[in-house]
Amino acid sequence: MRDDPSVIALVTRAANSDQDAWNEIIERYAPLVWSICTRYQLKNQDIEDVGQTVWLLLVEQLGKLREPAALPGWLATTTQRECLRALTAARRTADAGTLDDALAVVDAAVIEQEILAAERNAALRTALGELPLRCRQLLAMLISDPPSSYTEISATLRIPIGSIGPQRARCLERLRRSSTLDGLGADELRNEPSGR
Amino acid sequence: MPEDWDDERLLGALREASRARHDVPPWFTQAGQSAYAWHDIDAQLAQLSYDSSHDLDLEGVVRSASTRSERATIHALTFTSARLSIELEVSTDSLIGQIIPPRRGTIEQQASDGETITAPIDDIGCFYIQPVPAGSFRLRCRTEDGIDVVTNWFTV
Repeated sequence: MRDDPSVIALVTRAANSDQDAWNEIIERYAPLVWSICTRYQLKNQDIEDVGQTVWLLLVEQLGKLREPAALPGWLATTTQRECLRALTAARRTADAGTLDDALAVVDAAVIEQEILAAERNAALRTALGELPLRCRQLLAMLISDPPSSYTEISATLRIPIGSIGPQRARCLERLRRSSTLDGLGADELRNEPSGR
Repeated sequence: MPEDWDDERLLGALREASRARHDVPPWFTQAGQSAYAWHDIDAQLAQLSYDSSHDLDLEGVVRSASTRSERATIHALTFTSARLSIELEVSTDSLIGQIIPPRRGTIEQQASDGETITAPIDDIGCFYIQPVPAGSFRLRCRTEDGIDVVTNWFTV
């Protein structure tokens, strides 16, 4: 796992009563907690309970995390523990056999991939947010689902169709040079999602 | 930085980052932001350390059905923090609890919909709360000598 100095800064600020820093932490890592809950196939009500517990525990731990840079790992471990607790409780009330025991076993490698993906995604979103407005608008349209056509992009952003390609290349090059992405290395390359 | 990612790969990664963010419903993120309200509150977290229903899972195999149903009517839970623990017995319509070590104070039951019920803790540390919320809730315990503890969210 990379040592992300921005995570350390956010944790330090949040520990010192900075709600904006806390919101940024949530913004970055809610997808990690969420994705682990969905790996465990929890119902929304259980996900809500797990989320509340994880965030409450994090609030309490803010000033005590020994390695703030390891926050994603801490969140993943805590979320897993709370998911298992929720599954145990669900099993208690369900008819015997309606819950598959296999659900309780989520492979450690899967969780590790979720952590790496969460860090990569957070870095990419931050780097994207640091680009000039025109680049952000263009890239947002290019990655939208469904993707916008060049005709739509041309009409919305009022740029000739012929210059979309070159602008796209320039914006991606700026993104590639962003210092926010410095820590993304070989691990992230290997774990690039196949279904991109 | 992934300098050797070509444009398509970088766009694909951006698309994935955006999708992962949009998969998370707003209520989940908002609940996370609201949790910060607890930051300046000097309440320690009391974690669930014992749950009788876990015993039940283990013992159910060897116990008779009647014994199980009898035991199931009393659901016992213990929450532990560094300075005190909260022992709870949950029945269908009430919570009976005791804090250890015993001391006077106030117990507050906070439901996830924001509704709270407050009850006194007597001088042997006992309290009684009615009714029991259907959804998840937590207990906050404040003693007269200044201990402030909040439990995990839980559902009974």
